[in-house]
Amino acid sequence: MGYETKTGAARRRPALPVAHHLRWPLGFTAAAATVFLAYYYLVPGLGPDGQQFFQTWLPLTSVNEALVWVICALGLNIVVGYAGLLDLGFVAFWALGGYTAGWLMSGFFHQVNIHVFGGGLPTLPGIHFNFWFVLLIGAAFCALWGVIIGAPTLRLKSDYLALVTLGFGEIIPQVFVNGEDIGGFNLSNGTKGITPVDPISFGPVELGPFDLVWKYLIFVGIAALVMFISLRLREGRLGRAWLAIREDELAAGMMGVPLMRTKLSAYAVGAVAGGLAGVAFATHVGGVLPDRFNFSISITLLAMVVLGGMGNVWGVTLGALVLAWINSTGLPQFGNTFNESFGTDINFPSYNYLLFGGILVLMMIFRREGILPEARTKLVLREPSRTEREALGADMEESAPELDEALEAEDAEREAVAAPGTEDTEDGLGEKAGSTV
Amino acid sequence: MYRSARFVAMVAVAGLAASACGGSASGGADETAGDTLVVGVDLPLQGASKDASEATVNAMKLYLEQVGGKAGKYKVELKVYDDSTAAKGAWDDATCAKNAQDHVANASEVAVMGTYNSGCAKLEVPVLNADPKGPMLMVSHANTNPGLTKAWDPGEPEKYFPNGKRNYARVIATDDYQGAAGAQFVAKDLGVKKCYVLNDNQTYGQGVAKAFAEEAEKQGITVLGNEPWDAKQPNYTALFTSIKAKKPDCVFLGGIFDNNGGQLIKDKVKVLGDNEKVKVLAPDGFTGYPEFDELAQAQGSYMTFMGLASESLREQGGMGAKLLDAYKKKYGEDPASNYALYGVEALQVILSAIEKSDGTRKGVRDAVFEGEGITIPADESAVGKEMSVSPETGDVNVIDVSVLHLESKTEKFHKSWPVG
Repeated sequence: MGYETKTGAARRRPALPVAHHLRWPLGFTAAAATVFLAYYYLVPGLGPDGQQFFQTWLPLTSVNEALVWVICALGLNIVVGYAGLLDLGFVAFWALGGYTAGWLMSGFFHQVNIHVFGGGLPTLPGIHFNFWFVLLIGAAFCALWGVIIGAPTLRLKSDYLALVTLGFGEIIPQVFVNGEDIGGFNLSNGTKGITPVDPISFGPVELGPFDLVWKYLIFVGIAALVMFISLRLREGRLGRAWLAIREDELAAGMMGVPLMRTKLSAYAVGAVAGGLAGVAFATHVGGVLPDRFNFSISITLLAMVVLGGMGNVWGVTLGALVLAWINSTGLPQFGNTFNESFGTDINFPSYNYLLFGGILVLMMIFRREGILPEARTKLVLREPSRTEREALGADMEESAPELDEALEAEDAEREAVAAPGTEDTEDGLGEKAGSTV
Repeated sequence: MYRSARFVAMVAVAGLAASACGGSASGGADETAGDTLVVGVDLPLQGASKDASEATVNAMKLYLEQVGGKAGKYKVELKVYDDSTAAKGAWDDATCAKNAQDHVANASEVAVMGTYNSGCAKLEVPVLNADPKGPMLMVSHANTNPGLTKAWDPGEPEKYFPNGKRNYARVIATDDYQGAAGAQFVAKDLGVKKCYVLNDNQTYGQGVAKAFAEEAEKQGITVLGNEPWDAKQPNYTALFTSIKAKKPDCVFLGGIFDNNGGQLIKDKVKVLGDNEKVKVLAPDGFTGYPEFDELAQAQGSYMTFMGLASESLREQGGMGAKLLDAYKKKYGEDPASNYALYGVEALQVILSAIEKSDGTRKGVRDAVFEGEGITIPADESAVGKEMSVSPETGDVNVIDVSVLHLESKTEKFHKSWPVG
């Protein structure tokens, strides 16, 4: 790519012939399209060995599943990475989204017969909405629940906040497990879950279970939407308010950031992504079963966010893709290959969490900010806090050239964003302070 | 730095995604790979069901060896798929969905033997049903949920067969027979009048409990209630105290022992009295647990069991006994699960279907569901009786329910109960 090497003392912006705001969408589209084309044209043309390789190591079902994890992890990133609200119960939104699909895209409510551009014959009983409507409804439903769950946590901080979210993460799946007979009403079909869920349809065209490439495109599209929302919100006033709360809630409040509204919107926006992931997953699996929604899902999501780089959309995406792949395909297949070549009988997948735990511990010791950190997190983590500095004396401060670089890069970026003539040069929080104080 | 980090991220994402392409958009190469056909075996190989699944796989491999790895003119191989994850220690919905895709993508695979769990089958059957080269046949040895083959919950079983053709068969009878046999047994042999039904709130437990309650009503037993017990509760004194007020003379425990069944039976005896006074009947979810058999409070309870236990099969002689002996000789022990021989039975159905077919998926499926269907004669059948699969429903004609009685810490065979 057109990256110049550093020529002078001042590091110039790379000279790419693309406008700054178009870079990631183009890059993402290129990556997504490459995968799509490779898979649509290249893989079916490979010999049986090549196909076998892909089928074993990188089946498209695993890719699609990983994309669902990406969508969900990006949602959690807004809550944890941007707003700094530790959420240990994010699986609740995945479950709520999944059941929205279960209710609105299946024959589960057989008492009624509602069809809105939905799949299946019009004579089939049940509620059959089109996937795209369900996606919207699921997102809205989860946003509502994000606010409901967020509300009691507003007065809480750190550990207490985490515990309350953990509580909700346990309550909601339990409601679905036991929701077979709520005063005579069958809400969730209990442990049997809701199967099967209608396929995705565009007007008269219905995606069958083997149209995985097209499903891949849809999931990539949803992931791109969530990335777009994440990136744009972060640049805007709301995003900066989230970051301010994350860095120092008290200071942010004093500067006039409306804490309640800002925190609730973080929960709501994060929940939207969780809901989208839930609906997508229900169509991926073809059903909703409550045993999936357990605590380990919340923890895995959190690990994806932390490992990838809290607050950085690309880091979280990478973390989610890698961890999801290791979970679903990588480790079991590695185990099979290892056992076959060495004649051993080691159950590698059972060491999954040992491996995760080990990686997390090592990361926290050597690279707390994650694989691809957000520049700002890196600054906060690398720089001693003010009180420490004062206590230890200025000589304790290490010189860190990469830190200055990061600072410069961020400054330059801000200039670039401001240049096209937005009035965004002020921090934005300042004006807010002006209006409320 | 920041910028280049973002660039690296993009490349990494693209790279991972680019390398992540696989599977089969169009079903892959259209070749049958000589005359070797693959039968997929889809079982949970990790967690609680591990031993049962491994015994089943071993028994099937043994049987396939005995018949020379052939069905008619076709060579047959088994390919084992795991539908569980280590993290869950049980079958997993996403893994089942993935396996269903893999079965269809594997061009030489013509049928699937499995699954162990009905919930997993409900996800896989619609996918196999939609196979453009199929529908692909699935034969289960252990799915006892009735909804997969007969009208049970609304929309079942048609909703699992979107293209309108059946492709799912099983060699084990369904939970409703077990519940019904249990109800007939307590009404006729034990002469009870008022029963309280409990269930563990899971697919299996609810199914058995529902079937028991329905048949009990028909047999003139008053069903005082059908209520779930919560597996996470530390004790059930309150539950049984409320039941005591209704004065039942029998309690049905519809569920599996793993769901805190030990505490349940202890509190039952504590509050309602011993099992002579208030009879206890449990389904096969309570059989085969030494912990349960050794509980003082459990003595005297009755249990039903679908099919025949390995011991009865051995006594019965024939193919089943021979297989069991060969199994013990090869692996040094009896199969860890009574389902192992039913796994062989399922394989026999598939092999016989392959033999009758033209070696394609559609042909194998049609051999079971078109015409007369598949019949395994008594001298060949792994369960020692002539067995046939109904081409209309995919259900099996052999319905064996054994009633066991727990006496002095062993499950003794009480009698077999015919269900019509």
